[in-house]
Amino acid sequence: MAKQGENNIKLGLFVLAGLLVLMVAFYMIGKNRNIFGSDFELKARFSSLNGLMEGNNVLFSGIQAGTVKSIEMVNDTTIEVTLQIDSKVKSFIHKNALAAIGTEGLMGNKVVNIQPVKAASFSVSNGDMLTAQKLISTEEMLQTLSKTNNNIASISEALKATVLRLDSSAIFDILNDKTIGPSLKSSLGNINKASKNASDMTMGLNELVTQIKQGKGAAGLLLTDTAFAGNLKQAITKLKSASDNANKLTLQANMIMTSVNHDMNDGHGTLHALLKDSLIARKISISLDNVMKGTDGFNQNMEALKHNFFFKGYFKDLEKKKQANKALPVQ
Amino acid sequence: MPTVLNTPSDEKTGTVTSKPVIVIEHLYKQFGRNVVLEDFSLTVYKEENVVVLGKSGAGKSVLIKCVIGLLKPDKGNIMVLGENVTALNDDDLDRVRSKVGFLFQANALYDSMTVRENLEFPLRRHWINISQKEVEKMVKEALENVALLHTLDMMPSELSGGMLKRIALARTLILKPEIILYDEPTTGLDPVTAREIDQLILKLQKKYHTSSIIISHDMNCVKNIADRVILLLDGKCYADGSYDELEHSTDQKIKQFFE
Amino acid sequence: MSLITNTEDFLEQTGKISRFAGHFFSHGIKPRFEIKELLSQCYLIGYKSFPLVGLTGFIMGLVLTMQLRPSLVSYGVQSELPVMVGIAIVREIGPVITALIFAGKIGSSIGAELGSMKVTEQIDAMEVSGTNPYKYLVATRVVATTLMLPILTLLGDAISLFGAYIGVNISSVTSLRFFFTQVFQSLTYSDIVPAVIKTLFFGFAVGIIGCYKGFNSTKGTQGVGISANSAVVLSSVLIFIIDLLTVQLTNLIGLN
Repeated sequence: MAKQGENNIKLGLFVLAGLLVLMVAFYMIGKNRNIFGSDFELKARFSSLNGLMEGNNVLFSGIQAGTVKSIEMVNDTTIEVTLQIDSKVKSFIHKNALAAIGTEGLMGNKVVNIQPVKAASFSVSNGDMLTAQKLISTEEMLQTLSKTNNNIASISEALKATVLRLDSSAIFDILNDKTIGPSLKSSLGNINKASKNASDMTMGLNELVTQIKQGKGAAGLLLTDTAFAGNLKQAITKLKSASDNANKLTLQANMIMTSVNHDMNDGHGTLHALLKDSLIARKISISLDNVMKGTDGFNQNMEALKHNFFFKGYFKDLEKKKQANKALPVQ
Repeated sequence: MPTVLNTPSDEKTGTVTSKPVIVIEHLYKQFGRNVVLEDFSLTVYKEENVVVLGKSGAGKSVLIKCVIGLLKPDKGNIMVLGENVTALNDDDLDRVRSKVGFLFQANALYDSMTVRENLEFPLRRHWINISQKEVEKMVKEALENVALLHTLDMMPSELSGGMLKRIALARTLILKPEIILYDEPTTGLDPVTAREIDQLILKLQKKYHTSSIIISHDMNCVKNIADRVILLLDGKCYADGSYDELEHSTDQKIKQFFE
Repeated sequence: MSLITNTEDFLEQTGKISRFAGHFFSHGIKPRFEIKELLSQCYLIGYKSFPLVGLTGFIMGLVLTMQLRPSLVSYGVQSELPVMVGIAIVREIGPVITALIFAGKIGSSIGAELGSMKVTEQIDAMEVSGTNPYKYLVATRVVATTLMLPILTLLGDAISLFGAYIGVNISSVTSLRFFFTQVFQSLTYSDIVPAVIKTLFFGFAVGIIGCYKGFNSTKGTQGVGISANSAVVLSSVLIFIIDLLTVQLTNLIGLN
């Protein structure tokens, strides 16, 4: 009988230990969920909750202050969240505090962060509505970040190519020559102008062709006059020779550049010698001057031609060739 | 309450009468397709020892299990001390059972209990309001009857087969039943111990004036104990008479048992 | 042919077990109550199983933590280890491992005990002695397993979490207080309550299967062995089935 009693005591201890564990577990959870302490409610309206659920934590300045009590759809873009907040922090939360939905860690549970604002305001009372901060979700953040990354990647790619080209380009050395620089610059400007003119003219001619095709205006009549055609032919021939000259000059410049390039690529070291030789430098300078002059002349022709729309068809092809050739020395 | 259902302590004055204590009428029992008892009838009178003989599987154990209500017969009535055990509810059946002892073939002592607890068990179960002092006294008396008082606080596993049988007998007798049903009391024991058990049964029989149904194969046991012998054959009562009558019977089927 | 007989056997078994369990509710939990036997069974089933459950729980918590750690480290979230281990132990591993250990220890012992009682006619003897063996043997054991397993599970969980604490501390340093704060921060009532409730069913399953197998034990020592063995097997399977059902049910009523 004594043994029986002893067993019952052991059993009692065992059962009580089990119940104690259960009670402690309930209390620990309850403490986290603010069930046993006194508390009050705050509200906040959000347009999206990003997966916030009832029971999620509410942090005030990063301190555990309560939990999400309920979530209610007010309308299609507004969701009202009721927060259950520990009374202990009540006096510290002001009416102008901001509520925002955030994340515990990078991918943890959602939380509601209440952030104080510096401006003075009264303490909150039960049931107050807090201003909601537009939330930035991790996903959005990551998306933006991804776009930025892509941009940076393409920019740096382009930059890399440029730098590489610049590095290997012979012109880099030539550009160092102070006398060459400005002349090159001006010749480039001329080329630019020329091509602009050419483009303008093309447009004008284009218009004209349309008119001729329709047999309208003076052009239609003129084209039937054979005498005028002969004059026209002559003018075109002259123009051709002028542009041929320009072409030659360009080729010359091109050749020099090629030789410079060649030397450099071969790594003979003659390049430096060449470049240091002031005579050669002057020669280059002169030839560039010529190029400039040539293009200038050409430009004038073009300017003249611009007003004479009959040469369009021929001129177009020519201009294209020239532009291609003139572009070369710049490289 | 019928007058036959006195409390056991009032039993002492009982004398040999021809009053029937067990009346079995037209009993049928079958397990699946195996017919065990078929129109079996038997009457046991007060202070009479009836031995039931029969082949193994002839339904002898089934018969006495029906008497005590462990098995329900398919058909027929069993009157025990004036009450029909086949139609009683659990509480009334328990009341009848407190006056009927049953000695199991395998002793059926509870392994998890000491000898004392084994003996106390039926006492506390049937007589809920019994005092601790009375229990002690009755347990001691029961063990003295079988001369095993020293085993009081031993576990059944510590005891020999003969001792276990005697303790089982003590447990059967502790409620001072009016009827005792023995299921092969001497099976599995050596002849000397078997005779001791026979003597014990007879001694206690005289002391408590009980009626019994005894199932046995052991002809010595039958010879020693039986007032009347029943031969159970093919589910029926094939022969009914004294040991001498049956021993000298010319019937071939009866003779088989006495060779 | 054997498939048909197997199916028939299976259905017959299921029916018999259902009836047996039904009998528990219709007869087993009615007076008179065997309070004393119930208490002694609670002692044997609950208190006596505690060391085993405690040991396995402790090792489970420790091992689980050590096993989970490398994969959490590879994600850089090893600080979440207590949270993860806490949820795993409280929600699933604690209840199921405890129940399986319990089924192994108690299911087999009930099956063997009642089986041998059946074979040696002790159950009949009990009935003759004015005791309803269903109430005395079955009801007490089933109630005891049903009530004791949740308690064992709770204590096992606590020990398991302590094992996990040690596991965390093997390769980093955490205070016990912070560990438990972290564990309980992620736990909710909907983690603990279904876990406790399902252990009630686990306990009931272990008890009722053990008793059924014991009560229907066939003759001989082999029969007793089979009862004990099949009690463990069947109750282990049932534990998983009940576990599955509980998960589905808690999902259905939105407790997850």
